[in-house]
Order: sequence, then C-alpha cells, then structure tokens
Amino acid sequence: MPINPVRHRRISEIIGYLPLIIFAGVLLYIGLSAPNFLTFRNLELIVMQSLPVVLVCAGLGVVVMAGGDDVVSGGIDLSIPATAVLSAGIIAVMLTQGWPLIVCGIVAFFACIIVGLLNAALVTRIGMTPLLTTLAMFVAVVGVNNVITSSRRINVDHPLIVALRAQDVLGIPLGIVVVVVVLAVIYFVTHQTRWGLHLQAAGGSRDAAEISGLPVRRLFGQSFVLAAFTGFICGFFVLARGSGSSPGVQDNLMLEMVLATFLGAAFSARRVVTMWGAVLGAVLVAAISIGFKSMGVNVFWTGLIKGSLIVVVVAFAALARRGR
Amino acid sequence: METSTSTNMIWVLLQRFGFLLVFAAFFGLFAVWNPVFLQGGNLLNVIEGSAVLMIIALGMTLIVATGGIDLSVGIALDFGAAFAVVALKSYGMDWFGAACAGLIGGSIVGLFNAILVIGLRVSPFLATLSTFFIGSSVQRIFTNGGGPISHRRMPEEFRNLALGDIYGVPTEAVIATVLVVLYFLVLERSIWGRRIHAMGMQRSAAIVAGIRVNRILILCFIVASMTCAAGGLIAAANIRMFTPLSGFSYLLDAIAAVFVGAALHPRGRPNVLGTVAGVLFLGMVANGLNLMGLNFNTKDALQGIILVSALALAVAQQRARNPLVS
Repeated sequence: MPINPVRHRRISEIIGYLPLIIFAGVLLYIGLSAPNFLTFRNLELIVMQSLPVVLVCAGLGVVVMAGGDDVVSGGIDLSIPATAVLSAGIIAVMLTQGWPLIVCGIVAFFACIIVGLLNAALVTRIGMTPLLTTLAMFVAVVGVNNVITSSRRINVDHPLIVALRAQDVLGIPLGIVVVVVVLAVIYFVTHQTRWGLHLQAAGGSRDAAEISGLPVRRLFGQSFVLAAFTGFICGFFVLARGSGSSPGVQDNLMLEMVLATFLGAAFSARRVVTMWGAVLGAVLVAAISIGFKSMGVNVFWTGLIKGSLIVVVVAFAALARRGR
Repeated sequence: METSTSTNMIWVLLQRFGFLLVFAAFFGLFAVWNPVFLQGGNLLNVIEGSAVLMIIALGMTLIVATGGIDLSVGIALDFGAAFAVVALKSYGMDWFGAACAGLIGGSIVGLFNAILVIGLRVSPFLATLSTFFIGSSVQRIFTNGGGPISHRRMPEEFRNLALGDIYGVPTEAVIATVLVVLYFLVLERSIWGRRIHAMGMQRSAAIVAGIRVNRILILCFIVASMTCAAGGLIAAANIRMFTPLSGFSYLLDAIAAVFVGAALHPRGRPNVLGTVAGVLFLGMVANGLNLMGLNFNTKDALQGIILVSALALAVAQQRARNPLVS
C-alpha cells in the first residue's frame, strides 16, 4: 500500500494533537452549555480547587523524571497524597493543642521528609519497585495519620491557612501565587541546575547515566525526598481547601494525581511525563469535573467521564507514536 | 564490613530465612499475647477470613505474571456480586444460574481491560485504572448513588457458598483451595503457565518464539476477572447483599500479597504458592491484631507498617539470595 510519507506524518501529527483538541472541545461545550463557566471568577475558582492536585502532580513529575516513565518498573510515587494528608493532619492536631503554626509546620516538615527518606531507602537501598514501595507506604502513612487524628474531622481557622484560600495579592489569590512560586522553584531546580540535568539523565536512560558515572540511585532517592516536600506543602492547601483536615481526602487526591500526571504526558511533544504537562493536566481535570457539575450532570457520572478521558487521551497518544 | 563473625552469621541467617522468621515471630507473639489465637477454631477463622482475598490475589497473580498489573480487581468483584444478586432477586434464577451470571458479569470487566490493553495499546496500569473509574461510576449510576441491593430471601444453596460447609470445612475455604490448586497446576505446571511466564519476563522474546501473546493476554484478563467475580459471589452470599464499590478494599492487600510472594520466589517471579503465603501472612496479622484488642485506628496503622516492613524484608532476602535479579 503506497503511503505518501509526508502526508502520513502530517496525519500522525494531527492525531498527536487530538488529546488537546478533545479537551478544548469538551471545555468549549461546557462553556456553551453552562453560561457562567467561562467567566474569570469561575476559572479562578477552578484553579484554586486544583491547587492540591497541582502540587502533588509536580512532585510525582519529578519522581517520574528521575526514574523513567514506565509505570510499573520506572519511577512513581503514589505515597505523595498520603504525605500531604499526614502533613495536614499533624498541623491540624497541633494547632488545636495550641502550638504556634511555625512549630506545627516544622514537625510536619520532618515527618514528611522521613516518609520521603523511607521511600528512598526502600527503593534504592533494598531495591523494591517504586510502585509497590509507595503503595505500601501510602497505606502505612494513612494508617499513622488516622492514629494521629483519630479519623476525626478537625477544623482549622488559623489566619494564615485561611489566607491561602481567601487573601488576594495584587488581585491574584495568595494560594495561586504561593503555588506558582513553588512550581517555579521546582522547575528551576530540575531544569536549570546541574543536579536537575543529572536527574533527567538518570530517568532518560538509566544505563547511559550509570556508565557516565552519575550516582543514579542517589539521584532517584533525592527525587522521592523532593516529592515528599511537595506533599508537605500540599498539606497546607488541603487544610485551606477543606477548612481543616478530614479523613479520606487522600484517596481522591491519589486518583486525580495519577490521572492528571499521565494525562499530562499526552500534552508534551515527546509524550513523556513532564512537570508542566502534569500541572496542566491537573487544572484541566479540575475544570472538567467542575464544568460537568455546573452543567448539572449527576456526580455519579464523573468517574465514567474521567475514565473515558484517560482511555481516549492515552490511546491517541499511543496511536500517534505508532504512526511516527 | 562486619567485624565480628557471629553478627555476620546472624545477618546472613536473617537474610536467608528472614521472612519465615518474621512469620514465625508474629505467630509466636500473637499466640503468647492471646492464647485464643492458637485454638483450632481461630486458625480456621484466619483461613476462612482470607478466602476472598486469596481468590482476588490469585487473579492478580495471573495478571502480574503476564507482566502487567490489574487495578480493577475490585470492580470485577463488584460486578460478580451485582450480577448474581440481581439475577437472584429480579430474575428469580436458581443459585447456579446466578453464579454463572456473576461470572459472566465479571468477565465483562476482563474483556474491557483486554480491549483497552490489546486493542488500544494502553498500558495495563492506566487501562485498568480507567476501568476502575468507569466501573465505579457505572455502579453508582446503576444503584442510584451507591446504595446496597439487599436480598434477604436468598436461596439456601447460594448462601451456602459462604456459610455452608463441606464435611466440616467452610465452603469458601474449599472454593479458595480448589482455585489455588487449579491456578498452581496451570500457572506453574503446564505449558500455558510457561508461556504466560515467558511473556511476562521478555515480551519480545516470547513473540519471537512464536507465542500468541495477544491471545494469551486476552484470556488471562478474562480468567482473572472471572476469578475475582467468584470472590464477589462469596462476598455477596456472606452478607446477603451487593454493596457497591466494596471491592476496592481488597486491591492493596492483593497487590501486597502477590509481591510478597514474588519476593519469596528464587527468581522474583509472581507465583501461586508465594501468593498463598502472602495472603496467609496478611490474614494472620489482621486476625492477631484484632485479638490484641487494639483500637481500630492503631490496628490499621500497625497493619500498614507491618506490610511495608514485610515487603522490605522479603525483597531484601531475595536480593541477598540472588543479587543478580533486577
């Protein structure tokens, strides 16, 4: 069958853009059916809602960057949402006991870093697969957090936490500013420094990086600690979004994190997981869930829509790769 | 480097028999803590209580052996339970028809996975994750928000799947044992099992060797989900109702059991006997912690910590035995 190579490539390029086109189409459809969807105020709300997911996605993006993007054998950290909830739980419990926020923050920080170090040790020292390690760690950390909070909801009304949700800086919500700063720092560290270059080399081709003499295992371990740090920051946003710590937040956060991060891969030119792709994915997923809700679609359908989105986007990404 | 040879010896021993020692240590601890633990009735409880997890973990073993992972085992369980309960309640089928309906319901989930993985070339992780999302949503839509469908006047024969006994052995334990034996024969002692392991280890080599990879994969997904649906039948018979989204709680334990089992294998492969050991370990820990009379949250946390440690130890032991396994 004679195929015009130029036309063939163009077709596969168009297929490659299809995920974005589908997303744009769905959003446009929602925008037309729900009149207030595309207002500035609503878009701002959507971004605010997605902040916790954005943060954990950035953390997961770093781990995938360092470990390669094979889901089962490469880098993945499913424990970040649990770390976030642990951070939120510790801060909430200590605040109700009357500790100053800074002390709570320090304790939560160390607890989260310990989780990151444990992940790193189990993966790089003992040699467990990241998927398994972090899944088991998720269960353990959530268990510990339930002991700390006694599985109760704890209200938090500390002015700083409330400010993350309600305060504006130069017309932009403080929460968005903080997250953008955190993302910029992570981006700088992973893309503009020698360490970041090594990290990407380690994930891009483990063998090549090892032969070049990079400390691949240490780099991979460090990415877990950085991921745990994003979990720590995310804890504050979990508190801000929910006005406190409530049990069960972690499950949805984990599913949305995985969904957004791997959807994000479809937005990158090389179909790999990137931090920006993950962040964009997180915002789009939030936009679509909120959009369908504001259209009056029953919430029972959201899982179906999300699941179908993964399939469509990932399948088209696979098609585009095959066409090339 | 260790300076003293005796600590070195202990280290080597720990690495070689670590998991077995931990198993024994926990067993001893629970037995000393509460003598009830050792009574025959309680040990039977452990086995009976692990039956559903055992069945789910078998399905998971099969998929992990093909080189994938199945996050939708819970959905297959739910579908099995739902189809059976609806067949009994709304269509008045007898227990056998209902059981078949349940298994068919489960196989839909497997077929869907197979279409995504083979037809659309989505990776098993993402494919089964989306099956999980879609399946959960379908259950919510079907039950109008997730309310259970109860069927109080369930036929005696169907109830016996969970509550009956065959010569004094609980039926669910018998079903689980039969499935374990079947899985063992197929996966570890037959040519099909060889092919499955071959494609799990080196997909491209298996294709070159002429193994019909896609056909085997489709069959594996369907068989695994039907197995999970069988677990769903027992779960439904046990509580005389279908509770939507109840299968999710088995997912993490099933994955953990399979990987503990894989770590116990000399070459690090998922295998049926290892999975059985993993499931029994998890069941024993859950039962023992219950008998300690701990607070629910503490018990949960301890179980999680023990899970992480057990996995770490099992993998470390495997590394020590065979450093070349990646």
